Amino acid sequence: MTIYSTFKTDPARLRRRLLALLLDWMSWGYVAYGVMYFLNDYWWRIPLERFYTTLTLPPWGWPAAVLGTLAMAILCELTGYSLGERALKLEVKEERPLTKEEFLMGRAAGKPFWRTQWGVMAVLLLALTVALGWHIVKIDLEALFRPSRRAREMLGEIFPPDFRYFLVPDPAFELRGVPYSILNLMVITVFMALLATVLGAAVALPLSFFGARNIMGFSPVGWLVYGVVRGFFNVFRSIETMLWAVVFAIWIRWGSPLAGIMALTIHTIAALGKLYSEQVEGIDPGPVEAVVAAGGSRLEVIRYAVLPQVVPSFWAFTLYRWDINVRMSTVIALVGGGGIGDMLFYYKNEGEWALLGAVVATIVAVVWAMDYLSGRLRERIV
Amino acid sequence: MAEPYLVVEHLTKVYERGHVVALKDVSFEVQKGEFLVIIGLSGSGKSTLLRCINRLIEPTKGRIFIDGVEITRLSPRQMRRFRRKIGMIFQHFNLIKRATVMTNVLTGRLGYNPTWKTLLGLFPRSDRELALRNLERVGLLEKAYVRADELSGGQQQRVGIARALMQQPELLLADEPVSALDPATSHSVMQYIEQMNREDGVTVLASLHFLSLARRYGTRIIALKDGELVFDGAPEEIDDRKFKEIYGEEAEEVEIR
Ligand SMILES: Nc1ncnc2c1ncn2[C@@H]1O[C@H](COP(=O)(O)OP(=O)(O)OP(=O)(O)O)[C@@H](O)[C@H]1O
Ligand SMILES: [Mg+2]
Repeated sequence: MTIYSTFKTDPARLRRRLLALLLDWMSWGYVAYGVMYFLNDYWWRIPLERFYTTLTLPPWGWPAAVLGTLAMAILCELTGYSLGERALKLEVKEERPLTKEEFLMGRAAGKPFWRTQWGVMAVLLLALTVALGWHIVKIDLEALFRPSRRAREMLGEIFPPDFRYFLVPDPAFELRGVPYSILNLMVITVFMALLATVLGAAVALPLSFFGARNIMGFSPVGWLVYGVVRGFFNVFRSIETMLWAVVFAIWIRWGSPLAGIMALTIHTIAALGKLYSEQVEGIDPGPVEAVVAAGGSRLEVIRYAVLPQVVPSFWAFTLYRWDINVRMSTVIALVGGGGIGDMLFYYKNEGEWALLGAVVATIVAVVWAMDYLSGRLRERIV
Repeated sequence: MAEPYLVVEHLTKVYERGHVVALKDVSFEVQKGEFLVIIGLSGSGKSTLLRCINRLIEPTKGRIFIDGVEITRLSPRQMRRFRRKIGMIFQHFNLIKRATVMTNVLTGRLGYNPTWKTLLGLFPRSDRELALRNLERVGLLEKAYVRADELSGGQQQRVGIARALMQQPELLLADEPVSALDPATSHSVMQYIEQMNREDGVTVLASLHFLSLARRYGTRIIALKDGELVFDGAPEEIDDRKFKEIYGEEAEEVEIR
């Protein structure tokens, strides 16, 4: 009944309301899942092998759970005690005028949030999540304070680190028949990060204008290009650099620095592209108006009204990305991306702890230096 | 009577978003060399009207002729060329804050230069000379290479005027050019606009908030109320009754000197 009457007044509100219902349903489903998990784990194991995964339910259990949680969600929606509605800022209850005291103290002071209905629900969900997480991961704190024999051995040997192969290539460590020194590989690694950042930024910069609403306008073509570019950013950004590295390592060659560069670049394009276009969308439209009024073309608008406004933040984002890429490039070898990581994992596997110590120390020093450098540059720019 | 320079016929603008009718069937004519002041309450459609005239905003209905050209029928490309003749200055100046005054003034020449050159920041020597002359005219020559955001509001608006002068315009649109400025500065800025009108023969359309300014500088006044044209005549014709009609019964006239 409530839903019907809101639909008549405002379809947008109905959509939000349905979304709220969905949220409620999901949170109740989550509660049901959690409860079920505990029951399962402690005393309600159904002895049928084929049901035994993380969650065991008899065949009728699934529809029962789905419908039961839906019923709970609808009940919440109808009584106005819904977490989803609160999350979407849909006030269902009637607004009453604040008392003088409430007005003075601000609305929230009227009732602390953990005593409101949705607050209780939120706290419960949080508690359930922590309990469930603890149980599923089987957090074993004891192990943390009882290091393994291997760890003790490692700690004993890693100090002092052995810098024997810092300049001189280690004859035992070869990549494709060529021995490398730490410095050698570190330089390769830094350049991987540098190339990826520069290439990524160079591609992201022009692309970002195509992913900015205010530049693309509202023609159908504008919408299409905008949608495609933004979609590209979002999809490619959500695939982590490490996964890209696997793809390119298989494509090109396992352990090839090029694979690492490609992976870093692709992710840099998507991540920077998104950040850049959001900056472009946030500009002051005044100068744009002025340039258009003077007869400027779209490119001139970008050059004279948009770029001057976004350049400082573009720099800041690019330097920030440079930090990420430096750190990422040191371990990307783990998935075949090449660089200093190859040496790192080689020594780890060989149990050469003192040599490993030297590699780690070099990585720390370089990453720290790059961080410091980009921090200083950022200060100068912003 | 001579052919009017600007003709606005049955102009209507509806903002789709919010279903606002900002202009309702507005028609008027402007002769060459006039200083037309547009008055009206906040939200009456002054900015919308001015922006329809150089098509920063697309009119919903109606036609606009400038110098005999029906600009409402020009293609975007033709319109871009046509805008060279129409200078514009803004309430909030709309300068590129992080760029120098010189760069800001030079953007007034964008319509006259090929894009590939301006993208590289190349402007002909003659444009740079013109820029300095115009800066001198508004008394800001020594600020040419200062960043625009280091100037005061009045100075920024004078940069805006210099930028408009760069276009060597026939028509100047000024959207509340002085409402962000104090009274004394307002007059100095208005005098530069008046000078453009008198000495360079530029036809001026300016929206103003203060009736006293409108009377002082305008040769003719039109008034908008809720998107409709409710007055069109000489400044002297606005008496107490007219004033209340335009601004509402509650209004009191405020003087600015
Ligand atoms: N981009 C827009 N989208 C939707 N409605 C708009 C837009 N711009 C203006 N309006 C509406 O159109 C009407 C006229 O606005 P306009 O800015 O032309 O008034 P104005 O006379 O310039 O006011 P002010 O003196 O405050 O600048 C207002 O009701 C305003 O809310
Ligand atoms: Mg306005």
